[in-house]
Amino acid sequence: MPTVDIDPDELRELTGHEEKSDEELQEDLFGLGLEFEGWTDDDAFELEFAPDRLDRLSVEGVARSMRYQYGDSRGVHVPSTNGADWTIEVDDSVPDERPYVTGAVIRDVDLDEDGLDSLIQLQEKLHATMGRKRAKGAIGIHDLTMLKGRDALRASENASGDEPRASAATEGNPTIRYVGVEPDEDRFVPLDSDAELTPAEVLEEHQTGREYADLVSGYERYPAIYDDIGLFSFPPVINGRRTEVSTDSRDLFVEMTGTDQWTIDKMLNIVCYALAARGATLEDVRVEYPDGELVRPDLSTKTKRVAHDRIETLLGIDLDPDDVIDLAERSGLDATRIEDGATANNESTITPLEERDGLEERGGAEGSSESNANDAASTGELVYEVTIPPYRVDVLHPLDVIDDLGRAYGFNDLEPRYPEVGTVGGRHERSRLERAARTQLVGLGFEDLLNFHMIDEAQNYERLDVEPGEDAYGAGEPATIKEPYSEDYTMLRTWTLPSLLQVLENNTHRAYPQHLSEVGFAAELDDRENTGVAEGRHVGAVLADHEAGYEDAKARLQALARDFDVDLETPAADHPSFIPGRAADVVLDGENVGVVGEVHPKVLVEHDLEVPVAAFEFDLEALR
Amino acid sequence: MQLPESQIAVLETASADEATPVDALAAATDLPPETVTGAAFELEEEGLVAVAERVDETVSLTEEGEEYAERGLPEVRLYEAALEAGADADPAPMGQVIGNSGLEGAAVDIALSNYARKGYGSIEGGEITADPDAEPAADAEATALDELAGEGTLEEGDVLDQLERRGLVEVAESTVREVELTEQGVTELMAGVETAETVGQVTPELLTSGDWEDVEFAEYNVEADAETVEGGRVHVLREMSERVKDVLVGMGFEEMDGPHADADFWINDCLFMPQDHPARTHWDRFALEQPTHIDELPEDLVERVERAHREGVGDDGEGYHSPWDEDFARALALRGHTTSLSTRYLSGEQIGEIEPPARFFSVEKAYRNDTLDATHLLEFYQIEGWVMAEDLSVRDLMGTFEEFYAQFGITDIQFKPHYNPYTEPSFELFGTHPTTGELIEIGNSGIFREEMLEPLGVECDVMAWGLALERLAMLTTGAEDIRDLHGTLADLEFLRNAEVTY
Repeated sequence: MPTVDIDPDELRELTGHEEKSDEELQEDLFGLGLEFEGWTDDDAFELEFAPDRLDRLSVEGVARSMRYQYGDSRGVHVPSTNGADWTIEVDDSVPDERPYVTGAVIRDVDLDEDGLDSLIQLQEKLHATMGRKRAKGAIGIHDLTMLKGRDALRASENASGDEPRASAATEGNPTIRYVGVEPDEDRFVPLDSDAELTPAEVLEEHQTGREYADLVSGYERYPAIYDDIGLFSFPPVINGRRTEVSTDSRDLFVEMTGTDQWTIDKMLNIVCYALAARGATLEDVRVEYPDGELVRPDLSTKTKRVAHDRIETLLGIDLDPDDVIDLAERSGLDATRIEDGATANNESTITPLEERDGLEERGGAEGSSESNANDAASTGELVYEVTIPPYRVDVLHPLDVIDDLGRAYGFNDLEPRYPEVGTVGGRHERSRLERAARTQLVGLGFEDLLNFHMIDEAQNYERLDVEPGEDAYGAGEPATIKEPYSEDYTMLRTWTLPSLLQVLENNTHRAYPQHLSEVGFAAELDDRENTGVAEGRHVGAVLADHEAGYEDAKARLQALARDFDVDLETPAADHPSFIPGRAADVVLDGENVGVVGEVHPKVLVEHDLEVPVAAFEFDLEALR
Repeated sequence: MQLPESQIAVLETASADEATPVDALAAATDLPPETVTGAAFELEEEGLVAVAERVDETVSLTEEGEEYAERGLPEVRLYEAALEAGADADPAPMGQVIGNSGLEGAAVDIALSNYARKGYGSIEGGEITADPDAEPAADAEATALDELAGEGTLEEGDVLDQLERRGLVEVAESTVREVELTEQGVTELMAGVETAETVGQVTPELLTSGDWEDVEFAEYNVEADAETVEGGRVHVLREMSERVKDVLVGMGFEEMDGPHADADFWINDCLFMPQDHPARTHWDRFALEQPTHIDELPEDLVERVERAHREGVGDDGEGYHSPWDEDFARALALRGHTTSLSTRYLSGEQIGEIEPPARFFSVEKAYRNDTLDATHLLEFYQIEGWVMAEDLSVRDLMGTFEEFYAQFGITDIQFKPHYNPYTEPSFELFGTHPTTGELIEIGNSGIFREEMLEPLGVECDVMAWGLALERLAMLTTGAEDIRDLHGTLADLEFLRNAEVTY
């Protein structure tokens, strides 16, 4: 489970609860599902979090949730934003693999060391979770004062006529450009470096570059962000040193690039909320795609319609409508009662979104609830329209709202009850047959074993002197593992005898006789099966003791055949794992389903065994 | 009176005038000493003899002691060799004297350390002198050794202590029992005693003839250990699995069965796990190299599942902002959880449509391509269960799981709200360890999301939970290394000694 580090002093300050002891805070955090794992070296709490509430990846978000928990905050709060000054212009040259960008300007931040650490942690945790290790979304945060937008440039050095990419950027507004560049087209000084490097060189020479090289290795053109001075960021790999953020930074430019507009917009919202919680002012940024424009951050809210009845049945309690509204507000949501599926009286918080084909096909779901009928339409049922704040990324369905209400109510305050639902239980036939076979084997004196289904080729075949696909019982073609963790477990076993011999090998220091059996899984390739794998259960048995011989194995096999009322014949047959002349096919009710015999000395010696071993193995199905 | 043969023999051999040791009685009666002892105690209980005990010390030579008794004490042999070398007159070189003495190894040090102590001479600067007046023949230790070697005895004293310190003798204590007839014993003997017949084995003749009525059965030492029997037995983890199945069947659950190697579609997509979820791309997934893809998936179900991933379900639902690709869904892997069985059953694919209410379970293997250590296995048994009914609530879920865990002695279940992509609400289950009292995680549970159920065609609620069987087994058996329980590294001794689970 992922963890997040939270400084308890900061938490006290941001929640306004200076009086809370560390222990009280830990208890309150547990209530939010943030489990205290221990202290970090910097005296912060290390908290384990469930990866749904990604708005709690920093002390600011955790503090916000705690203020709701304490009752200090209620309902939805959306910070205001100032009108856009800056523009991100998206060039046609942007790599197709990473077409999306978003951004915001943050003014008047007051970042001390703790604040900066928190911002960096939030960035890292968002990368690790929503950003899918930067593949889906990557964040770049820059010191705004180090950026030179278009008109600043025009005023000072109008002469630079060789502007490489002509743009349709708004006249008079500062602009940065998201473009695609050839791997060695341009140079910049990346973070943690003194050298000017091309993007291709960054991927080879810079530590962070090497770490993230895989993300762009298939790209023809690399993503790059320019201001009028030049290249300053190489997303999703690394930023330039010029715009590095420090505790002296007052104004920030936050940009995010990715493979999905919704994802990076939500990541941006989480960052904006965190910085706003520290007193910063948010400012819109225009994102100009070749075919349309967005204004970001998108802090519009969403709504979900939740039926009162569903809340009551899912939680198993009766609730007053006012209680529901109270629980919603304590969860940081707003709820409005509507009857009969009517639309809520509209001071609707839904802002119409920019229509952009393709780009918004999934990011634009916010507007949909208004036009759709809802579950409770025209039945006179009590329904709530619940407003979801823009930092929430986990509310996909009205169910998720009910979960929030349940948490606010306190799940542990619910009284468990055994459901009054009558059903008839029973075992699967295969499982009954397995148990019956096992019981008979134990009655015959076998110690029942339970081995792994996975094995390696050497043990399954070579050490028993058989070849994959050979015409011998147990030597079918294997289903193999793509990237095995251990070289001892690379395939599904095709028979149980190799496992049983391995147990004998590992127990030569234990008392004999060792009569071991297993009714267990075996599988082999079979293209007649839908999965391409024929899975079955085998009955395997070994008799290891100083006088074990063919007849001992056959005697027990006969007993099993008698128990299950099947005819047993054992016509002589060669099998590489057994001594010639002392091996036979196991034919049950006329079907050749296994092998019985004395294990060949070369197989015994291979397993460091110094006693004879008689064995049999056959398909469990044959006992039906 | 009638007495068993052995008691009569002891009674007749014992004397009323003096106590006779058991060994002597055994020799006289030709019975094993333990039989005589047993008979004597029986007779004592009848008041016919008195049994007295005393502790005897016996002194015997150790191996080293016997060697010296035969070849002489090392220091004496050194003295004799020194005399031969003329060391009584002039100091002789030590190496030569030792060589002549035939002493070797540790015996040399023993000789040298006792030589001076006993006044046989002195050793200085690599030379040895011999005191001509010394009398090795009068050496008390040598004399005592000879005495002991000749079956004689040795009184307690300095010489014995010295020999014991040198490790040449051993003093052993033994209990000697002596038997003496009592007056009553004499009286009974005078009156005459008859032999009661004893038999060892019940035989067919004994039974058919009716003779069993007249015989006395020889008594056995019923307290002695018998020989070890290794019978067959069911594997301890299998016993646990059977126990779990019993409980679930008793609670009305029906067992599921299905493929171990399965399409990701059944393992993950049907569970509303986004395709870019870390668990699906993570290296702990056991993707198959061969075969690679399932042949067929139900087309309409694939469509519905894809739509749920992309758009969500219901009027207010929304999907994941993640890619979805059918080829990815068709890829084969060893199932990472047995929830793939649940999706197959819920969809109707496995046994046809299931009408609510219904309860299903499995205790089957799941696979994780992860570390193998004392608490992690690549393969483990997952207990999976679900209940399908109209209007199930979180309280029903809590009540069901409390009932289940109570069957294993785990009470006071705590429900910690949790997140799973396929359940909402979701809970981690915590319980108190029955012996250590520690709070430990014992399962994961929740109510299946509508995005999962709707595409599967399920129109009511389904609540589900899962946990590892090994975890329950370690809890209840106290096993500390999971590898002892499961797999080819299993120790037969551990399995043979494991306590039966029921």
